[in-house]
Amino acid sequence: MIKPVKSLKQRNLRDRVMESLLVFSTILVMAPLLIIIGYVVVQGASAINADFFIHELGSPARAMQGRPTGLVHSILGTAVVDFLALIIAIPVGLGAGVMLSEYPDHKLNPMLRIINDTLNGMPAILKGLLAFALIVKPMGTFSGLAGGVALAFVMIPIIARSTESALMSIPWTIREAGLAIGLPRWRVVLSTVMPAAKTGLVTGFLIAFARAAGEAAPLLFTSFGNNYLPNHWTGMIMGPVDTLPQRLYSLAISPYKEWHAMGWAAGIVLLAFVITLFITARMLTKEKKY
Amino acid sequence: MKKFHSIHLKRPSAIFSATRLLVVAGALMILAGCGGSGTGDSKESQRVDLLGAGASFPAPLVTAMADEYRDHTDGHITVNYQSIGSGGGIRQFIEQTIMFGMSEAFLSDDIMKDVENKTGGKAFNMPITLADVVATYNVPGLEKGVVFDAHLLVDIYMGKVTRWDDPKIAALNPDKVFPNMAITVVHRSDGSGTTNIWTSYFSRVSDQWKEQIGYATSVNWPVGVGGNGNEGVAGAVMNTPGAIGYNSLSYAFLNDMSYGYIKNASGNIIKPSFEATTKAADIDLPEDTRVLFTNTPAEYGYPIAGFAWMMVYENLEKNNAIETKQQARELLRFLLWTITDGQELCEGLGYARLPQAAIDRNLNMIRQIKWEGEPLGEEILKEENLI
Repeated sequence: MIKPVKSLKQRNLRDRVMESLLVFSTILVMAPLLIIIGYVVVQGASAINADFFIHELGSPARAMQGRPTGLVHSILGTAVVDFLALIIAIPVGLGAGVMLSEYPDHKLNPMLRIINDTLNGMPAILKGLLAFALIVKPMGTFSGLAGGVALAFVMIPIIARSTESALMSIPWTIREAGLAIGLPRWRVVLSTVMPAAKTGLVTGFLIAFARAAGEAAPLLFTSFGNNYLPNHWTGMIMGPVDTLPQRLYSLAISPYKEWHAMGWAAGIVLLAFVITLFITARMLTKEKKY
Repeated sequence: MKKFHSIHLKRPSAIFSATRLLVVAGALMILAGCGGSGTGDSKESQRVDLLGAGASFPAPLVTAMADEYRDHTDGHITVNYQSIGSGGGIRQFIEQTIMFGMSEAFLSDDIMKDVENKTGGKAFNMPITLADVVATYNVPGLEKGVVFDAHLLVDIYMGKVTRWDDPKIAALNPDKVFPNMAITVVHRSDGSGTTNIWTSYFSRVSDQWKEQIGYATSVNWPVGVGGNGNEGVAGAVMNTPGAIGYNSLSYAFLNDMSYGYIKNASGNIIKPSFEATTKAADIDLPEDTRVLFTNTPAEYGYPIAGFAWMMVYENLEKNNAIETKQQARELLRFLLWTITDGQELCEGLGYARLPQAAIDRNLNMIRQIKWEGEPLGEEILKEENLI
């Protein structure tokens, strides 16, 4: 039996207690993120300087002898591989999401849903192995393209899922309005439902992108790593290329103190990269009001 | 109908223009990619990227050589070497995803035969450098220089000697005081050439080890914990008081770790150094250089040392990772440079210079290397006036 609340004062008190509990939980959720950012920045700030952004890594001897060394090749490589993955993943993931949401009765959908969930739950290293078999072996070399494909496998199920839920949140009346003026079904989806759901769609792309940007495992045997910028800039796509998460891992397990600091600095750059993307996309989606 | 379309098309949302931009950018990148690789004879095509991978043991040296070689060629030749372990190096060499592999375990007869069947030519194992494998340990109060002999190390890795104050250890180190502390054995968890050298030494000095465990890039360890790579073993030893592990000498130097001296087959106590390695390697080297020289009979040789080999195909065009003759030529030029001028870098990084016999064998192998039947190796040697 719940006791009847006696006074306004008591009710306000109870409200305040509940509110402070909520604030406390919010802090608990945010604390790990802030601790991680703070720790990474404190550890890595000393290694961030101009050299870090204009020089290549080279051998450990370079760092030990105090010659200039940096991660410019990893930073550019990450951008190339991640955007390559996004370009591959968006059409596929978006298509699957539209299928699930707009054609709910299609007989392929139950299968699609199972496959998508399986792909989502699959260890990322297996996606790397798949890309190794599909791209690296036939091409005869490790490449940024193979890394992009491996990361696209990470992005696709996330994009499909988020697209589905973003489109589902748009009321059916909008679709009915489009159909009523004689638009074909694909045009309704493309021109009325998707623009209305664009914030959700972009958020989905971003979550997928951020997830993939932090993955090192699928890249081990696809983009493979490189101590330098390739001699041809197309080498970033057609040849082995360095990426920040993978380089971070190898710097962290290396026995060299100088490289440990550079690993932390790589962490700062990776975090900044993801955060900048989030902010940019938020601004993009706010640009226009309906 | 058309009217509606045009109304909609006039109002493209931000997300679609962004997506369109991405797609256009991607298409441009791919187009540019095709254009770039298609410019056959332009000056740019003189620039070549070489790719190798494998052993962690010679990685500090090979990457330093790559730095130096890049300067030496005015930035035209970039050699990308990734340290993934000898097991990985052999694997990717067979998979033909890298232009050269590196390992301190030479290719087995089975693999050699397999390569010959697949490519119609041999796989060459060319020694690039040699170095010591040292026993690294972490015992509070003990600096480097604890003396071990073969049987003591075998007993420790068999789990028969389990404490640092064991009389067997004290007998070899009468002037040192050992704490009453358990020994934690650390070994490699990945396929490793360093393990191959270490266990080959054990197999040569102990019949029991040879029969029960044997030697390979990975074995069934009776006791101990695993670490990934030379790096992982070094890390585990440094973080575990009482631990003993094995590393290539340069890693012990770099991490400022304590390491042991070894009483060799002649009964001399040998401190790891490149002089002692060179003495151990003073052997009758077979033509294909596939030999282990652990437990050396040399009086002042260090008994746990070995070569690090670079692996290349005799018929270079059969390796899927090598696309053009230009790449093959530059690979051979780099290979030749590492065994000649490149040797200058060895001693500063804790490696020994190649003995003359090994250089001679290498030159002989380079001479046999071909590109689509053309004697490319011979051409390169003539260019450098080496024949």
